[in-house]
Amino acid sequence: MALPEDRRKIAIRVSVLQFALTVLFAFLALAFWYLQVVQYARLFEFAENNHQRTLPLRAPRGVLFDRTHKVLVENRDSFNISIVREHSKNVAQTVRLLASATGVPEAQLLDTVRRYEREPKYRPIPVIEDASLAQVAAVAARRLDFPDLIFESVPTRQYPTDDLAAHLFGYVGEVSEEQLAGQNLRSGDIVGQSGIEKVYNTELMGQDGARKVIINSTGREIRRLDEIPPTEGRRLELTIDYDVQRATEEGFRLLGYNGAAVILDPRNGEVLSYVSIPAFDPNAFAARGPDFGATWASLNTDKLKPLQNRAIQGRYAPGSTFKMVVMTAALQEGIATPDFSVYCGGGATFYGRFFKCWKKEGHGSVAMLRGIEQSCDTYFYTLGNLVGVDRLHKWATLLGLGEKSGIDLPNEVQGIVPSTEWKRQTTGQKWYAGETISVSIGQGQVTVTPVSMAVYIATIANGGTRYVPHLVRAVDEGKGWKDVPAPAAKSQVPFKPATLETLHQGLWLVVNGAGTGGNARIPGRDVCGKTGTAQVISLEGAKALAGRTDLDLRDNGWFVFFAPRDNPEIAGVVFAEHSGHGTEAAKIARYAMETYFAKKEGKPLPPFPWPPPKPQNVIVAAATAGAPR
Amino acid sequence: MLERRLYFHIDWLMLGAILLLCGISVAMVYSTTFDPARNTASRLYITQAYAIAIGLGVLVACLGIDYRSLADSSHFFYILVIALLVYTLLFGSVVGGSRRWIPLRVFNLQASEFAKVALALVLAKFFDESRRGNPSINDLLIGLGMTMLPFALIYKEPDLGTAVTLLPIFLGIAYLAGLKMRLFGVVLLAAVLMAPVAWKFALKDYQRSRISTFVDPSQDPLGAGYQQIQARITVGSGGFWGKGFRKGTQAQLKYLPVAQNDFIFSALGEEQGLVGVLATLGLYLFVILRSLETARLARDRLGTYLVIGVLSSFTFQVIYNITMSAGLAPVKGLTLPLMSYGGSSMIATLAGFGLILNVRMRRFTN
Repeated sequence: MALPEDRRKIAIRVSVLQFALTVLFAFLALAFWYLQVVQYARLFEFAENNHQRTLPLRAPRGVLFDRTHKVLVENRDSFNISIVREHSKNVAQTVRLLASATGVPEAQLLDTVRRYEREPKYRPIPVIEDASLAQVAAVAARRLDFPDLIFESVPTRQYPTDDLAAHLFGYVGEVSEEQLAGQNLRSGDIVGQSGIEKVYNTELMGQDGARKVIINSTGREIRRLDEIPPTEGRRLELTIDYDVQRATEEGFRLLGYNGAAVILDPRNGEVLSYVSIPAFDPNAFAARGPDFGATWASLNTDKLKPLQNRAIQGRYAPGSTFKMVVMTAALQEGIATPDFSVYCGGGATFYGRFFKCWKKEGHGSVAMLRGIEQSCDTYFYTLGNLVGVDRLHKWATLLGLGEKSGIDLPNEVQGIVPSTEWKRQTTGQKWYAGETISVSIGQGQVTVTPVSMAVYIATIANGGTRYVPHLVRAVDEGKGWKDVPAPAAKSQVPFKPATLETLHQGLWLVVNGAGTGGNARIPGRDVCGKTGTAQVISLEGAKALAGRTDLDLRDNGWFVFFAPRDNPEIAGVVFAEHSGHGTEAAKIARYAMETYFAKKEGKPLPPFPWPPPKPQNVIVAAATAGAPR
Repeated sequence: MLERRLYFHIDWLMLGAILLLCGISVAMVYSTTFDPARNTASRLYITQAYAIAIGLGVLVACLGIDYRSLADSSHFFYILVIALLVYTLLFGSVVGGSRRWIPLRVFNLQASEFAKVALALVLAKFFDESRRGNPSINDLLIGLGMTMLPFALIYKEPDLGTAVTLLPIFLGIAYLAGLKMRLFGVVLLAAVLMAPVAWKFALKDYQRSRISTFVDPSQDPLGAGYQQIQARITVGSGGFWGKGFRKGTQAQLKYLPVAQNDFIFSALGEEQGLVGVLATLGLYLFVILRSLETARLARDRLGTYLVIGVLSSFTFQVIYNITMSAGLAPVKGLTLPLMSYGGSSMIATLAGFGLILNVRMRRFTN
C-alpha cells in the first residue's frame, strides 16, 4: 500500500508527463497541418511529378507519293535504346555495360549523353537509334542490369533502298541549335535538313502526341492515364513520275556515268525526273545508327562529292547546247536569217587567233539549219562574233541560263553567262571580242546548272513560256487531296514564230537527220534535241591536273531534248560527267522518254536499249581527239 | 481466472481505442501493399490480422493473471528473454545484414520486442522492492545494469533503434520512483557531453550519414536523404482530406520504401489526409493519457511502475516514429506500435497493454 505522500508525488509527476505529452502531440498535429495544408500545393506537385510522366509520341512525317500515287517515301517503326538518368545509379557504368552488350563504342554513347545533359532527368536520352534486333535482344536479356534503359518505338523515315532521287528527297536529322531559334521546334525534333524534306518541313512534320503514364519508383510503367495520339504530317503528291525517275537513274548506272538530269513537263514546269548521281542513302541519315559517323565522314571526303546536288549546285560549261542561244539572238535581233551561210574549212581565224572546228576537214559551206544539225563550230564562231557577247547574254538570260530556276529545293546556285558589264564588275577588265568566240560554242566563261538547262530547253520547246520547275502537285492534310497551284511562269520570251520554227527544225534534224543526236531518235515521236560536249581541262586549268586520272579529264556530255516536236509534253536535260560526248547522254534521254511514252500509253515499260560500254572502249574514245561537240 | 467482479472493471474505452488502432493497421497494411499493376494486395494484411488475433489472446491471458503474480516471476521472464536474445545473436536469421529474428515454423520471432515487456516487469518489481522514497544511486545503477544487458545484446544484432527503446523504460520507472530531478539533470548533461564522443566512436558510418542528412536532406537526395524527402512529400501530398483509401501513389508505387513498416503513418497521412492524421493522433494520445491515468490510479507502486515501464517505450516509439513520418526526425528503423506491419511487435505491444489493463482492472482489489 502506497503512502499518501508517495501518491501525491506520483500524481504530480504523472500530471507533468500528461501535460508534456499533450503539448508534444499538439506540436505533431501542428507539423502535419503545416505539411498538409500550408505546403500542400507544392508537395502535391512533387508527388505528381514523382509518378506521372508525359512521354512524347513522335508524329510520323508526311508520306511522299509520285504523280501516280505510288508511295516514294514512308515511315517505319524503329527502336531506340534510351537511358533514363533518373533511374540510373551510375550513368557511366550503364554506358560501359551497354557498350559491351551492344558493341557500340563507349565514347559515342557518352557523347550522346553529354549532348542531352541539360534536359530533365526523366527525359529518355536515345543513345542507340534504330537499334538492331540483336542489340535490343542483348539489352532485354539483361533487363535487371539496366533498370535505367528503355526501348522506344519511333517512326523513322523510310526511303527507297537504291538511293533513288536521294538529292530530291533530301534527308532528315535532329534539329540544330540554330534551327531551334525562332521556330516552333523543340530540341530533339527531327526536321528536314535538305531537299524536299527541308523545303516542305512545316507541311511534313505533323504534330507530336503525348502519353501520360504512371510509373513506379523503379520506372516501370504501371498504367496509362491519357494519350494524345500524334498527327501525321501532311502527305504530298510530287510531280515526279516514279518510272521515269527510275529509268533515268538506271540509264546513268548502266552506262556507268555520274551526272545530273532534270526532266520537265514543258507545259507547266512539273518535274518528272530529278537526278543527281552519285547520291547517298538517306536512310542512313533517318536512323543514325552507330556507324553514321563513319558514313558521314566518307560522304564528305569522297572525291566524287556524293553530297553535292549536281542538278542545282553543279556549274558546268554547256558546250554546243549553248548554240541555240546564238541562233535565237541572231534571228531575234535580225542579225542573220536562216539562209546566212558560212564556209567551214575546219576552223577560222578571229582576232588573230585560229579557232578549230571539231571537224578537221571542215563542213564546207553551211547555212543555219545544217550548222545546228552538224554542230559546226566555225558557223557559230562567226554568228556569235556578229551578235556580240552582250546580246548573247541578253537572250541566254531570257531563256533562263545564268539564272536561278526557282525550283523548290534549297541552295540552288546561279550559273554565269558573261557580258561586258559582268566582266567589268568581276575583274575590272574590259571584254575582249576574242572571248566571245569561245562563248559562242558554250566554252570559256559560260557555266550553267543542269536545272537551268532544263528550263532553257523547255522554254524553247513550249514557244517561250519560262515556267518555274516545281515538285509538288497536291497536298493532303487529312481531308483529301488539294491541288497545289503551280508557281506563276517567270516570263514570256517574245519569240518570233520564224525563230521558233528554225530552232525546232534544227533540233529535229539533230536527232532525226544526219546530226549528233541520233541516239535519242524514237520512231514516231519526233524527238528534238541537241548534244553538247564540253571540255573540262580548259575550264579548270592545268593546276587541277594534279592527281587526276584520264577519266576525270574527259569531256562532259550534255543532251537537251523535247518531244514531240509539235505540242511537246516532255523536255529536259541529261548531263553525263566525263562521258566524253553528248551522244552518251542522249542514250539516257531516250530511255527516259521511251519509258514516259510507254507508261502514258499503258504499254509495257521498255528495257534499257543499250549494251553497257566496255571499259577499254571508253578509254580509246577519250583519247580520240576532235569528237563532234 | 477472471472473476465476474473484475470483468466490470476492464477499461473498455481504452480497449476500444486499441482495437480501432489495430483496425486502422490492417487497413493501412492492405492499402500500402496493394499492387496497382496487378490490381491485387499482398497477403501481408492477413498475416497482420492473425498477429492481432494472437496478440489479443495474449492480452486476455495477461489480464487473467494478477500482475503481482506476474511480477513475482519477472526474473524468470527476464532470463528467458535474455536467453532468446543470445540465441538470436548466435543462430538468428540474417536479414539485411543484421540478426534480429529467430525463424520459427510459422513466423519469425523478434525477441527484442518481448524484451521490452520483460524489462518493464523486472524493473517494476525491482524498484517496488527497493527502499521507499527516492531511489538510491545503488538502485539506479543496478536498474540501469538490468537495462543495459538486453540493450547491449540488441545493439549487437545490430538494431540500435529497438535497443534505444529500452532506455525510456528505465527512465520512466526511475522518474515515478522518485528519481531526483537534479540527478536527472546531471544524467541529461552527461548525455549531451557524451554525444560528440558517441558520434565519433559508437555510431557507424550509415548512422552518421543518416543524422547528417537529416540536418540537410538535399545533401544526398537519392541516398540517405531520399526517404526523408519522400516522407514529407507523401504526407504533404495527402492534403486536408487525403487521396482516399488505396489511392496513395507514393506508398503504392514505392517512392516511400516498405511503407507498411516504418512509414505507415506517412502513408496514412497521404490517403486519409490531415483528418485521418488528427483522428489517429487523437487515438494514440487517448491511449497514452488513459494509461498514465492508470499509473496514477494503480493500487500499488508495483502497478504504477509496471504501467509507466510498458507505456514509456510505447510512447517513445509512437512519438519518434510519427515525427520521422513527417520527415522531421532522422530515419531510424523504429516501427509505429499497434500500426506497423510486424507480428512480434504487435503481439508484444498487445501483451504490454494487457498488463496496463490488468493494473487498472485490479486497482480496487487487495
